[in-house]
Amino acid sequence: MIYLLPSISATLGAILSFSLFRNKHKEVSVLASFLALMFSIFLLFEPDSFTAFFYVDSLSKIFLLMISCVYLGVVIFSIGYLEHSHGHLVKSYQYFSLLDIFVGVMLFSVTLNNFGLFWVSIEGTTFATALLVASENDIAALEAAWRYIMIVSVGLTIGLVGTLFLYSSAHTLSITDLLSRQNQGSLFFLSGMLLVVGYGTKIGIFPMYTWLPDAHGKAPAPISAIFSAVLLPVSLYPLIRFFEVYQNPSLSKFAFVLGFLSVMTGSIMTLNQRLYKRLFAYSSVENMGLSLIGVSLGSYALVGTIVLIFTHAFAKSGVFMLTGNMLHELKTRKIEDVKGLIKIMPKTGLFLFFGALAVTGTPPFATFFGELLIVSKTINYYGWTVGVALFFFLVCGFLFINYRVINMVFNDETKPVSSAKESPFTFVPVIFITLAAFVILIVPIFYRFIEGVIK
Amino acid sequence: MEKEIFALVGFWEIMLSIFMQWQAYTISNIKTFSVQSWILGIFLLWAGVFHGFIALIILALLTIITRAIAMPLYLGNTIRKQIYRARENKHRISTGLSILISLLLAVFGYLVYYLILAGHGQSLVSIPITLMLQGAFLIVSRSNAYSQLIGYLVMENSMFLLSFLFSELPFIIEAGIILDVLGVVVVAGLLMRVRDEDIEKEEELLG
Repeated sequence: MIYLLPSISATLGAILSFSLFRNKHKEVSVLASFLALMFSIFLLFEPDSFTAFFYVDSLSKIFLLMISCVYLGVVIFSIGYLEHSHGHLVKSYQYFSLLDIFVGVMLFSVTLNNFGLFWVSIEGTTFATALLVASENDIAALEAAWRYIMIVSVGLTIGLVGTLFLYSSAHTLSITDLLSRQNQGSLFFLSGMLLVVGYGTKIGIFPMYTWLPDAHGKAPAPISAIFSAVLLPVSLYPLIRFFEVYQNPSLSKFAFVLGFLSVMTGSIMTLNQRLYKRLFAYSSVENMGLSLIGVSLGSYALVGTIVLIFTHAFAKSGVFMLTGNMLHELKTRKIEDVKGLIKIMPKTGLFLFFGALAVTGTPPFATFFGELLIVSKTINYYGWTVGVALFFFLVCGFLFINYRVINMVFNDETKPVSSAKESPFTFVPVIFITLAAFVILIVPIFYRFIEGVIK
Repeated sequence: MEKEIFALVGFWEIMLSIFMQWQAYTISNIKTFSVQSWILGIFLLWAGVFHGFIALIILALLTIITRAIAMPLYLGNTIRKQIYRARENKHRISTGLSILISLLLAVFGYLVYYLILAGHGQSLVSIPITLMLQGAFLIVSRSNAYSQLIGYLVMENSMFLLSFLFSELPFIIEAGIILDVLGVVVVAGLLMRVRDEDIEKEEELLG
C-alpha cells in the first residue's frame, strides 16, 4: 500500500486543485509533486513487494523516481509558462488538475501486477492528456489533439486484443503468475505481437508514430516535456514486463524490426524538419525505437534501455521546456527564424546545446552509454551489418539534430540580435540537463538495482 | 444454445456496422451505435442471468447505461449544437465502394480466423474480428469526427464480444475499460465542439 503514496499524492493534488483549492491550485500541485518525489525517494529504500494487485521491484522504483522528478519540474515550469500564455482551452486550475491526475495514473500504472490494469491505466492517460495537448486552442492544436486521441485509442484497442489473447492463453494476467509458469503457444505469441503493436502506438513506434510529432509539436512546452520524458517510457513499461515473462526469438525479432524502423524513421525525419519542437519530437521517436530494441534483446541491452530512458527523461524534458522559453520570447516555432540564441537568451541557448547533445547520445551523457550497450548487443545478436546500420542511423540523428541546434544557438550572421528576457523558471531545465550529465555516475548502482529483472 | 445466440448477436452487430457505412446522417449513426450497444448489453444481461454471474449482470447494466444510453445522448446533444455536421455529404470513399470493402472485410475477418486462430477452437472468433475491422474501416473512410468516434466505439464493442468468447476478463478490468471508453468519448466530445475538420494543410503539422 505504501507504494501507492506517490500516486495518491498526485491524485489528491488533482482533486484539491479542481475543487477546494482552486485559488491555490499552483501551490497545491507543487506540494503534491514534491510529496510524490519525496515518497518515491523513500520507496527506493523499501523492500520489493509482490501482492495480488501490486508488483513493485527495482524497475518500478526507478520508474516512480523518474516520473516524480519530471512531475515536480514540469509543475514548477508550468507556473511561469502559463503566465505568458493566453486563450487556453483549459483554465489554469484545470490544466494543473489534469496534469496531476495524468501523473497520478502513471505513478499507479508502474506498480501494478496485472496486464489488464496496465491497459486500463495507459488508456486512462490518453483521455487525461488530450485536452492538455489541445490547450493552445488553435486549429493545429485541436487537430493534433484529435489525431492523438483517435490514433492512440485505436492503437491501444489492438493492445486490448493482445491482452484478451494473453488471458485466453494463460488464464491469468498477473505478472507473478506468468513468471511462475512456462509460457508458450501460438496464441501467446500472437498476443505478444499485438501488445507490441498496441503499446507501440503510444510509445511512438513505426509505423504508428504519426500522432507523436503533431502532439509534441503543438502541446504547451511543459506538456511536450512530460510526454516525451515519461509518458512514452511508461507506455513501454508493460512491454518490458511482457518480455520478462515471455522470451521468444520470433517476437524479439518482430519488436527489433519495429524498433529499428523507428530509429531509421526518427533520424531521417529530423533532416527535413522546419519547426524546432517537431525536430525534438522525432528525436523521441528515435530514442523510443532504440529503447524497444533494448527491450527486445534483453540482457545488458535492457540495462542500456533503462539508462537511456532515465537520462533521456531529464534531458528531453529540459530541452522541451527550453523550447517553451524560445517560443515565448521569439514568437516563432521555425528553426530558420532562430539565430544567435546564445546572445539573445544565454542560458536557454547554452543548455539547449547541451540538452541536444544529451538526447542524441553524446559522451559523457549516460544516453551514450545506454546506446553503446544496445548497439553492442545488436552486433552480438544480429551481426555486424545490422549493428553498423543501426549505428549509422544513430549518427544521422546526431548530426541532423545537432547541426540544426548549433545553427540556432551559435549562428548570428543573418539577423541582428537583441537580448530577450529569460523566464525565471529557466532554472528547472538547467537543473534537469545538468542532472542528465550526472546519471553516468550512478550507472553501476542502476545495474545492481535492476539485476533481478535482467534475464 | 449460447453459441447460436452469440452468432445471432454478432450477425446483427456486423449488419448494423455495415449499415453505418452507407449512412450520410451522423445522427443516424449515433442511433445505430446505440442499438448495437443495446443488443450487446441485453445479450450480456441474458448470459449473466443464465449463468447466474452477478459480475456479468453488473457489466451488462454498465454497458447499457454508458454505451447504449449515456454516450449516444451526449454525442447527440453535442451534434445538435453543430448542426452543419449532422450530415456528411462527402465520404473519403464512395458509398458503393464502402459497402463492397465492408463485405470484403467480413471475408477477411473469417480468413484471419481460419489461418491464424482456427487451432484454438473458437469458431465464432471471426465475428468480433470482422466487427473490429468494420469499426477501423469506418474511421479511415470518414473525415467526420463523429463517424470516426463511432468507428472507435464499434471497435470497443467488438472487444466485449471477443472478451465474452474467449474467457471473461476479471470484472475490475472490464469495468475499467468501460470507464476509459467513457472518458475518451467525453474528451473527444469536448474537442469536437471546438475543432474544425475542414482544415487545409496546416503548416505546423507538416513533416
